[in-house]
Amino acid sequence: MNGDARGWRIALIPDTLINPRDRAAAPLPNVLGVLEASGYGVLQLPPQGEHGLLLAVTADQVAEYAHHGYAVVAIGVRGEPGGGLHWRRLAPLLRHRGVVLPPRYYIRPDLDAAAEEQRFAVFLSGYDLPVDEQRRWRV
Amino acid sequence: MEYAPRKVALIANCLLNQNAKVCEGAHYRGLVNPVVEALRSRGYLLQQLPCPELAFAGVRRWWAVYEQYDTPAYRAHCRRLAQAIAPLIEQYLRRGDDVILIGLDGSPSTGVRFTSSKRDWGGRPNRPDDDWEIVPRRGVWIEELEAELARRGLPPLPATGWALDMGRFDEAGSRRDLEQFLDSRGIVGGSRDDDSAAGEPAAGGPAVP
Repeated sequence: MNGDARGWRIALIPDTLINPRDRAAAPLPNVLGVLEASGYGVLQLPPQGEHGLLLAVTADQVAEYAHHGYAVVAIGVRGEPGGGLHWRRLAPLLRHRGVVLPPRYYIRPDLDAAAEEQRFAVFLSGYDLPVDEQRRWRV
Repeated sequence: MEYAPRKVALIANCLLNQNAKVCEGAHYRGLVNPVVEALRSRGYLLQQLPCPELAFAGVRRWWAVYEQYDTPAYRAHCRRLAQAIAPLIEQYLRRGDDVILIGLDGSPSTGVRFTSSKRDWGGRPNRPDDDWEIVPRRGVWIEELEAELARRGLPPLPATGWALDMGRFDEAGSRRDLEQFLDSRGIVGGSRDDDSAAGEPAAGGPAVP
């Protein structure tokens, strides 16, 4: 795509990593900063609660990306219910749309934030679609 | 314990994910960092809106103008998305949070102050470069989202747009625009009836719809 800067990689992110609830707790890694530096776009998942229609809408978007050469990952938070990913609801919605479930990475709030950022960055930089898939779509 | 109202920014999907843009429309790899920084440094929570065009016409869609998306089927699709996100927005507003909307000026769907327009676009996609116009009105998605919030008895949201789709993109000007909007919010002390729709965009010229 001439002059187009898209990174072709997208991360599903729990609300709590974008909008941390407990500001008094130990700081979480700067997840958005690492994603930005790694060239990933973000699909924000809703906070805890019932969000059936919104999750279906998110699954539609993931399916569209996954079927057209975009790499999608899911980033959870260890210790959050379902990792903050609504996985019990979201996974069947994705399967129903023919999407291979994206690889998941779990942020560990108990670790030093800077070290966790480095570990997270290594995961992000190491993931992409196979080269032949990239060539097929990314022109 | 008394609830402390929060500042919440509803932001266009592509401001967190440039992969949602139409081909040749992505100016960043992923996040639009100047927008994220401007909002987070002022204490805003972020709430990403769904992308209506991606879910309707796909990632390989053609460029389009307002008139092409102004159809019953697309509006019904936008209403479904609005019904999906509105409960979250309603929750924020009923709690007394200060909620603002940051769209994408020049977009046929997500424009706030401006959208792209050309009455005779259609048919074979071979239009010459730059033959569309920028007009001062909402995009189709923002119209439907606002209508859904109004149906729920919620007040209009203060809103502005990041001028990404106004033609020659001027990041510095867009940042100035956004920061002025956000800082004026601080001055009016949370009033919900100030809408920046009359403001001038940061960049002129034709749009990348």
